[in-house]
Amino acid sequence: MEKLLNIDRRIIFIFVFLGVSIPLLVEELEFPVKPTQNVRAVHEMLETAAQSDGGGLVLFSFDYGPSAQPELQPMALSLLRHCFSRGIKVVAICLMPDAPGLAEQALTTAAGEYDREVGSDYVFMGYKPGFASVLINMGQDFKSAFPKDRWGTPTEELPVTRHVDSLKDFDAVIDLAAGATPEMWIAYGQEKFKFPLGVGCTAVMAPDLFPFLQSGQMTGLIGGLAGAAEYEALIKTPGTATIGMRPQSVTHLVLILFILLGNVMYFLTRRRAAGSTGATA
Amino acid sequence: MIFLRRTAPLVLAFVVGILGIGVFYVPHETAQDLEKNLSLWLRIVFAFSFFLGLVSLMNLHWSRIQQRGGGWGYSLVVYVSFGIMFLFVVYNDGDGPFAPQAAAGGYQWMFLNVHVPCGATMFSILAFFIASAAYRTFRARSPEAAILLVSAVIVMLGRVPIGAFISDLIPTAAQWLMAVPNLAAKRGILLGVSLGVIATSLRIIFGIERAYLGGGEE
Repeated sequence: MEKLLNIDRRIIFIFVFLGVSIPLLVEELEFPVKPTQNVRAVHEMLETAAQSDGGGLVLFSFDYGPSAQPELQPMALSLLRHCFSRGIKVVAICLMPDAPGLAEQALTTAAGEYDREVGSDYVFMGYKPGFASVLINMGQDFKSAFPKDRWGTPTEELPVTRHVDSLKDFDAVIDLAAGATPEMWIAYGQEKFKFPLGVGCTAVMAPDLFPFLQSGQMTGLIGGLAGAAEYEALIKTPGTATIGMRPQSVTHLVLILFILLGNVMYFLTRRRAAGSTGATA
Repeated sequence: MIFLRRTAPLVLAFVVGILGIGVFYVPHETAQDLEKNLSLWLRIVFAFSFFLGLVSLMNLHWSRIQQRGGGWGYSLVVYVSFGIMFLFVVYNDGDGPFAPQAAAGGYQWMFLNVHVPCGATMFSILAFFIASAAYRTFRARSPEAAILLVSAVIVMLGRVPIGAFISDLIPTAAQWLMAVPNLAAKRGILLGVSLGVIATSLRIIFGIERAYLGGGEE
């Protein structure tokens, strides 16, 4: 029993490895993904944007780096696919220095699937340092915050951004975040300019953002790979997040079983120790 | 000299602090123009902090290489990696350092094929350590710990499709846990932290908190 209580961590690692790898290989293993209300709210927000004059204009803020890429890149792809399939124009920016490479990859992939053109259907403004000050600047004067796009074309000359003066010109804003940017978007953007704000974040961040959902400062929330899979289900385009639900489901189960086993061993050891103390007394 | 060391920074913090708060709430055109300019200046200051960070990082690793302390090889990797990426940025797929960064080329290739997989791998490894740590420490030692344990199991199952596969009640219970007890706790923490930030900001603006001037309390 003592052995089981102090099990070699490499054995746990092997079980986690098998819990991840076997479900990835077994394609028949399928679990139905049911979208939650918070994810549906983001979907409805983009549907509403699509019905506005001119087909809708949505700002994407890519605020994550490679460490959050497995969770947030499938989310970005699903949201962009939804926008491009509904003819929504997209403006993309980055507030994190290691985000542009991932943002560019997501934009070119999704735009390529729907034959969308850079400049007329979407623009990528690249990265600007300053976090909150960039948001304040964008709210005051979008073109002074981003005078040129990622490839050097003046913002004034791009069909998508020609008539954008401020944050209030966007029908919706989506922040894909792996840090504190959603709170900045709320404090310096949404509260002042009252645009619908949808947030996609890592799973560990999601619980922190629930107060903003209830206060109405955030329209919807997509949390982690599970949230991305729910969005894929909503747009009926299964991707890597849906595939990821297989290993994630099984690994969660493995983890729970280990926690339960650990507790059973703990109580048995405690009972035995109490018994032996009683016998000695 | 005491004017430059103490009085001038205190006056500057007071004026910029009061202006920064004021222009955010005043909708007058002059205030809005000032806010725009302040945010632009802040961005320029922020950009300079990158150089400061870079110099600090390189100095730290240079001293480790010189002293040949434990793990100095990793410091060498920092220099080699930085050098390679810097060369790719300057070369910019043949366009030179002053053209917009090329969409393809060595830098992009290194980012997508080295940096991204390394970053994702580092984060993924956490799953293994969390599993091991959870097995050893997640014990129902007290009623509070037992509640935490049961909540964690419900949320872990409810956040993945297998939860709904077992029972529809699991995702509903997980959602309730997130939207009611979690929300209440998070809101309390958030309000506490925000009030703390406001209090500290006011202390700095009004010159009560002077630690940022350096040299300790005088």
